[in-house]
Amino acid sequence: MTSWFELSDEEDRSLAAFMSEVAALAAPLIIGDPRPIWWKAQLIRRWDAERRAQAPLDVMERVEIVAGLAAAAALLIWAVPTVGRVIAEPFLNLLG
Amino acid sequence: MAQLDDAAFSAFYESHVRALWAYVYRVTGNGADADDVAQEAFLRLLRAGPDTDDPEQRRRFLYRVASNLLVDRWRKRKRDEPIEDRRAGTEPSGANNLSDPRDQDVARTFARLTARDRALLWLAYVEGETHEEIAASLGVGKRSIKVLLFRARRRLRELLHARGLSRTS
Repeated sequence: MTSWFELSDEEDRSLAAFMSEVAALAAPLIIGDPRPIWWKAQLIRRWDAERRAQAPLDVMERVEIVAGLAAAAALLIWAVPTVGRVIAEPFLNLLG
Repeated sequence: MAQLDDAAFSAFYESHVRALWAYVYRVTGNGADADDVAQEAFLRLLRAGPDTDDPEQRRRFLYRVASNLLVDRWRKRKRDEPIEDRRAGTEPSGANNLSDPRDQDVARTFARLTARDRALLWLAYVEGETHEEIAASLGVGKRSIKVLLFRARRRLRELLHARGLSRTS
């Protein structure tokens, strides 16, 4: 494997000097106010907390819907013979 | 994480934003990108930073996040741009913002490296990070980092020789 020290010390010093020059170059930064970042983080943290608190309720809502549909289906299956009999009875009476 | 209150965050921000911004700016050559990456890095520090009061660990986290964001941008660019637009030295150097011709030359020389080489060299020389830290920051294997760093140094050495900028040569 290539060694980190394959360049000579002199070359390495030369690179380090150049990198110091790069680091010292003026950067056109206007330092903004950090508070909007801090408030944004607080807001996101609050939303995350709300989402976490809401998650079990969302699950229960789905469970309620599924349970309601299942109950309605069971009721329908249980009631079909009775309803059929009630509807058919007048016709059967007419026919004698 | 150990919560930073408004005042502590402001103090940490003010002592690190210039250096972080300079790193991203020298790597991307773009002030708007540097603004975006620096802001996002500080935001992630607040949301998911290390559980510590040690400012040095926070600083490392900041550079790791910023470097990861840079890597994401390179990957996105690789997908979006045609190959011929991706040569080293074709990116903005930020030299136009400098008044001293020598500074402009330094900025242009540095911009002739690839973005990854610039990030590697900055983290190694300016931030003084270890190979392991650089590997973690740039999402590169620990074994590869020595080779990548050596190649970046060699390319910079060649550029310096070619342009006669090397003080010792």
